[in-house]
Amino acid sequence: MPRSKPPEKSQPSAGKARFKVGDRVRVRDLPNLFYSRTQMYVRGIVGTIAACTYQDVIPEDEAFNRDGRLEQYYIVRFRQKDLWPEYPFDNDTLQTESPERWLEPVDG
Amino acid sequence: MNPRNKVARGRFALLEALKNRDKTWNALAPRYGVSNPNPPWKSSLIAMCDCLDAGGALPVLDRRHAEDELADSVYSDIPEPERQLLALAHTMLSRGLITESDLANRMRAVRARLEAV
Amino acid sequence: MSHAHTPGNGGADHPAAPMVEEITDFEVLEIAVRELAIEHGLFTAEDHRRFTEWAESIGPAAGSRLVAKAWTDPAFKARLLEDAVKACKEIGIDWAEPTGFGTPSDYMNLRVLEDTPTLHHVIVCTLCSCYPRPLLGMSPEWYRTTNYRRRLVRWPRQVLAEFGLILPPEVEVRVEDSNQKCRFMVLPVRPEGTENWTEEQLAEIVTRDCMIGVALPRPGRTADVHPMHKARRPVKGQAHSGEVAHESKK
Repeated sequence: MPRSKPPEKSQPSAGKARFKVGDRVRVRDLPNLFYSRTQMYVRGIVGTIAACTYQDVIPEDEAFNRDGRLEQYYIVRFRQKDLWPEYPFDNDTLQTESPERWLEPVDG
Repeated sequence: MNPRNKVARGRFALLEALKNRDKTWNALAPRYGVSNPNPPWKSSLIAMCDCLDAGGALPVLDRRHAEDELADSVYSDIPEPERQLLALAHTMLSRGLITESDLANRMRAVRARLEAV
Repeated sequence: MSHAHTPGNGGADHPAAPMVEEITDFEVLEIAVRELAIEHGLFTAEDHRRFTEWAESIGPAAGSRLVAKAWTDPAFKARLLEDAVKACKEIGIDWAEPTGFGTPSDYMNLRVLEDTPTLHHVIVCTLCSCYPRPLLGMSPEWYRTTNYRRRLVRWPRQVLAEFGLILPPEVEVRVEDSNQKCRFMVLPVRPEGTENWTEEQLAEIVTRDCMIGVALPRPGRTADVHPMHKARRPVKGQAHSGEVAHESKK
């Protein structure tokens, strides 16, 4: 079955998204399975939710415990200065996409 | 080692013999005055990569990781899109999706078929 | 499609277009791999044919039209930023092709990144070179290299400078790493000097590189020029002898 197929309607919804635009989150450093889609360069870094994108099942390369449930995906925005040592431009940012389970809340 | 993480090491004699820059589209197109920047088989190759991913035989991340490694090593001297084609064949051979002898035989048969026209 | 073994156009008065008059091992390899894959059940000939037709149908003209329309029609631009996949249908691009639910690489989650005078987007896929193919066609070779993918996230301004694009420090350079199912396209700022231009005129200056974010559109710039190939026999009509400026489609 082609993997671009959208989630089956019968799959349990993720329910309410845990995060909303503007929330500060940290990317968790979970153990790698195969080739993870969560890049090493964002692990452990704090960013801001820039958008809620869609709900989808966790793909095989993303988690050990796949239960077929839909999960909220987000675009997270980081300051380049937080990602790279001595990044010289204060205003520059980077965005990437993450499923909810790879994010944890950050206070303040 | 998890076979999905396996680096596409080693070389295949059959593919090594194909590493001829003079026969790449980059070299041939200008020689014949053809302005199309892509060989006619490129769209078929793209489709093949999509189909292999869709059916699960060769997921895109696996294929691209192998392609990155091979592009930086074994096939670094070959331009695109021949390099992508060689990397694909190499990865499929590495994973046992096709065998070298089957591929060699089929290439002979295909060439004979095309030259008979 | 030029194949060496294709019969000539008998009966026509005009000369046939030049063809590569040899059957390369690469052409043979592609066919051989494909036939074996089909025989082993890795995919069907039917699916392959459908994806091949789709691959041949796409190109960057669609993206150019999209940007030109957004520049000239504020209501369309609002719809585009609200739901990009739906807005694409207005210019005849259906992200559901060719399966009814997209391709295994492009999906159906397009997001348009709107540049402003103080915000410049540039797109990469560090993992594997995902790209909005329904709008831009096949990705260029440089986009797929580890050189671009690894360096753009870390040294974006350096990479942009290598493309000839230098931005002042107060402009925010925002890298978008498309690592999941969203696909992205840059909506550049409409350049000065294009007042009263038609959509067609505007589309001409919105090249593929502008929609990836490694170039800015401007009047007179209608092609993405990358390393020049030296041709032994230049294509007729080219002004520069010995050189062919390729639109980098590879």
